[in-house]
Amino acid sequence: MSDINITKEEIAAVAPKVAATIADALACDAGKVKLEASLINDLGAESIDFLDIIFRLERAFKVKIPRGKIVEEARGELSEAQFETAGVVTDAGVRRLKSFLNEVPADRFKTPLKTAEIPRLFTVETFCKMVLRQQKAAPAAPAAPAA
Amino acid sequence: MDDHFRAFSFVDRIHPGASRTQIRGSYHIPAGLTEFPSSLVAEAVGQLAAWAAMMAVDFRARPVAGIASRVQLGVAARPGQTLELSAQLETVDDEAVGYGGSATVDGVTIVRLEHCVGPMIPVAEFDDPQLLRARFELLCGAGATPGAFGGLPALALNRTSGEPGQVARATLQVPAASPFFSDHFPRKPVFPGSLLMHYQLQLAAALAAEIPPPNGTPWSLQAISDLKLRSFIPPGSLLELEVKRLGSAGPTAELALEGRREQRLVGVARVLLGTEAQS
Repeated sequence: MSDINITKEEIAAVAPKVAATIADALACDAGKVKLEASLINDLGAESIDFLDIIFRLERAFKVKIPRGKIVEEARGELSEAQFETAGVVTDAGVRRLKSFLNEVPADRFKTPLKTAEIPRLFTVETFCKMVLRQQKAAPAAPAAPAA
Repeated sequence: MDDHFRAFSFVDRIHPGASRTQIRGSYHIPAGLTEFPSSLVAEAVGQLAAWAAMMAVDFRARPVAGIASRVQLGVAARPGQTLELSAQLETVDDEAVGYGGSATVDGVTIVRLEHCVGPMIPVAEFDDPQLLRARFELLCGAGATPGAFGGLPALALNRTSGEPGQVARATLQVPAASPFFSDHFPRKPVFPGSLLMHYQLQLAAALAAEIPPPNGTPWSLQAISDLKLRSFIPPGSLLELEVKRLGSAGPTAELALEGRREQRLVGVARVLLGTEAQS
């Protein structure tokens, strides 16, 4: 499921609604919620905001987003031990993350990268992809009306 | 006296048939209290949902207050009344619970919660899991003895600055010790988010009294929306509260509430004022 192909056109189609949802959750100007904006560094999101955003996206798009499994999904075929050691993402893990989060500019991946810092990488586009992955995984779900 | 399950517990019976999606219960408001504000009624609904959530994850984790998309405020509950509580869990796992619910008295809505989210935290960080299980069994069986809650702590809201009808600011000193900390929570005392909301609503009501109503009828607090509690508030914290008027449209007005601790946001919400009768 984690390697489902997602096109730029598909991202563009959901982006306005995802951005509006994020802007509502963060009570910020929708104009600031650009696709490449980091939720934490650019929009000031905290952990409770991630939960808020995910629940809002679930309601808006009628999908189920696996909270707490986002990093697990990012890990893909790598075992936990292959992905991280003592809270630090391994070289193989970083390569995997760069592939999974290919919307994140490479210079945002710190070295060393702590697993706790992975959410700092998430951008608005990351959330678009989360929604699209779930839509593709459960295509029978009815489409939600436009916000 | 041990204040665990007494000083800040607002469910004294869980009705048969509780499941991971639906739970009903009741709470008798002690007759000797002077008031039982809507924030505590909302707390009671949240606590009922918390029991269902803990049951669903076999008491590995418990929810804490987080987000409420909307809290509709109905008529005020009075001491001596029995709240009928219900909660519907939209989703629950070890990470979070999503729920809605309501409290009624004789079929009349006191408070209705919509699209709430509570982060789930390992139970053992906050409480003794075995004691929680035993309490849950008691609530589902004979029920707890009503009347344990002794009333709201006497905390002073100190107005500091503002502009009449536009913005009001105040400080709130959270006590370093209080009976409710033994219940909320025994292993990690935290100032309840519902109490933060209670004092923020008091400040909101004070600001509302300064705004001329459009039709001569005093403003009333009708709903809270976009409530988000961003971090735990430890005992002894000094909180800075601010309420701002956002705008008015006919018989309604909206206020923005913020609470800060050491300049960091700890709680935000919006409040809808109205001049029409609450349903």
